[in-house]
Amino acid sequence: MDMELNQTQRAIEASLSRLLDRRAGPDRARGLRKADDVDRLLMIDLNEAGFLDLFHDAETGPLMAMLVTEWSATAAALAPIGARVLSAASVMGERLPLVIAVGERSQLKAVRYAAQADALILIDGDEAGVASRGQFEATPVRTKFGYPMARVGDHAVTPLAPGAGAVVRRWHRVALAAEMAGAARAAVDLTIRYLQDRVQFDRPIASYQAVQHRLVECHVAADAAQWTAREAAFRGAPADLAAGAAITACQAAHRIFYELHQLTGAIGFTVEYDLHLFTTRLQALRLEMQGVRGHARDLVAARWGAHATERA
Amino acid sequence: MDFDSSPEDAAFRRDLKAFLEAELPEDFDAFTMEPLEQKAFSAAFAGKLAERRWLTPAWPREYGGLEQSPWQQLILAEEMAGHGEPRTAQYMCVNWVGPALIMAGNEEQKAYHLNRISRGDVVWCQGFSEPDAGSDLAALRTRAVWDGEDYVINGEKVWTSYADTADFCFLLARTDPEARKHHGISIFLVPTDTPGVTIREIPSIFSSGTFNQCVFEDVRAPESWRLGPENGGWPIIRKLLVNERVGVARFRRAAATLGRTARAAARAGLLDDPGVCEAIARAQAACDAARVLIYRVVDERAKDRVPEVTAYVYRVATIRCEQAVYEATIAVEGVGGLVKGAQSGAQYPHALAAGTATGTLEMQLNLIAREVIGAAAAGR
Repeated sequence: MDMELNQTQRAIEASLSRLLDRRAGPDRARGLRKADDVDRLLMIDLNEAGFLDLFHDAETGPLMAMLVTEWSATAAALAPIGARVLSAASVMGERLPLVIAVGERSQLKAVRYAAQADALILIDGDEAGVASRGQFEATPVRTKFGYPMARVGDHAVTPLAPGAGAVVRRWHRVALAAEMAGAARAAVDLTIRYLQDRVQFDRPIASYQAVQHRLVECHVAADAAQWTAREAAFRGAPADLAAGAAITACQAAHRIFYELHQLTGAIGFTVEYDLHLFTTRLQALRLEMQGVRGHARDLVAARWGAHATERA
Repeated sequence: MDFDSSPEDAAFRRDLKAFLEAELPEDFDAFTMEPLEQKAFSAAFAGKLAERRWLTPAWPREYGGLEQSPWQQLILAEEMAGHGEPRTAQYMCVNWVGPALIMAGNEEQKAYHLNRISRGDVVWCQGFSEPDAGSDLAALRTRAVWDGEDYVINGEKVWTSYADTADFCFLLARTDPEARKHHGISIFLVPTDTPGVTIREIPSIFSSGTFNQCVFEDVRAPESWRLGPENGGWPIIRKLLVNERVGVARFRRAAATLGRTARAAARAGLLDDPGVCEAIARAQAACDAARVLIYRVVDERAKDRVPEVTAYVYRVATIRCEQAVYEATIAVEGVGGLVKGAQSGAQYPHALAAGTATGTLEMQLNLIAREVIGAAAAGR
């Protein structure tokens, strides 16, 4: 085992970081939210630089695809990167549409990026199908939760291979966990910097132990989310680890939403301050795939259900 | 970044598991034994491990070890914890009393103690906490005064696990009351049958033999019992406490309890209950989070770094995992969990003690704060 990035991974990180510095970030995300749009230009750049095709590459594999998702979320990228590099890559081969939305048949009231997507993967139990733009109806809905969302109506999907729903569900959980982990990390780091600078009663707020402990609990939650998601990706998204990573990320999202807004105070409720770019997205992500309830059902079934093989 | 074990590590885990499964009854849990029964069992079991050098595999070969890597030490900790920790008190001797002796002991001390530990012949307890020195351990008041022939030790230690069955106490005492508090502490290796040492049980809500009080009244300790330089105990302790913080794979023991609980829930048809299902899943996720977070600690040790913040983060995750597993046991067992022998009754001491034993939750949070928020802000 080795918990540090290897040479290839470090090179990819450095190159991605340069691209995200130019093409992502909070200001760009704010502008896109105003227009209720997806960052298609970012997807094009990521694609041209090869960042969207790491899943099937023997040298990089799904772990690197997961890390691209995580790091892009930390940079506030407003694009369905995880859906493309992990969820779709796991069931749709290598020639993929650029912007992909993923929805569950029973959860079509608000699907992230559905109105902007070139294709929609629709999960229905253990099966899944795909519909290209024009083959599904997507009516934008207004939301305060950080992403462009649409209600999906009539659709004509082409079935994917038998059992594809179970596969894409596992990988989409890893994608969700990666995005939550990245956003959680950004929110925690932002709040630490703010509380180090913000002085009240002649002291930085970060110097109060009552504040430190709450902040550190958020830091620990973000660490747990990052590392469980990374392991799940590395191991090929087994159902229990993928669901476990998603649960851990949902718990981080839950804690961070309340704690970081409370610790930041009123400035955190403003559009100009960056915190909401991460916290409101975390709320949307923690509800996807039926949230903890859905993840829990699959984790328990995988480990202890009638057809389970309990992991040692 | 790579989460795969090396072939050697995987083979070691396989061999160890096969050995434990052959030697121990299914669902064995040493923590449910009475203290003397536990001591006798662990002494016999430690002997079997010692035959394979698996009691002290991390130690240098010259002292009875195998010079195993930190990753194999983790495997050992995981598999022992996952099989009911048959070593019980031995983990303490092996994880840090022995390493302390190897690091700071003189040849005479090493010759006398290390063999005994590596054979599993002795039990040690740690004389650290005092009535007025808990998290602030360096505030300890137990005195060791040199009278020209011996040190004369007076003081009181509390919450001392295994003192009732221990042969030796790894004792911290103040040898220079004038020095700054971290600078006046020395370590003594004291046989518990030394005249002047009195050990009394402090009745605990958990089980008999959990806690003890150790009173030292004019205990005469020759200079040869002092480990390391006079007043030089603290740096040794600080380095070795990292071993104590991460040396016990609590997440694996908790996961074993959770597995038993979940299988019982499956047999009772309770897994379809959303409350039960969610409690079990949250607990499993918490066990896995702690397991993954210890990898960072071991990775640092494997690269000859001294883990700091990663170890504290792991400890916090471990506490959450013990608590989540307890929540799962009560979700499954309900009032049945109140009856002795149930998983809930076995798990609740772990859920409560995890945040107190081997450094409180608050101390871990302080230490992380110092690192991630910054000394300037956190130190005020």
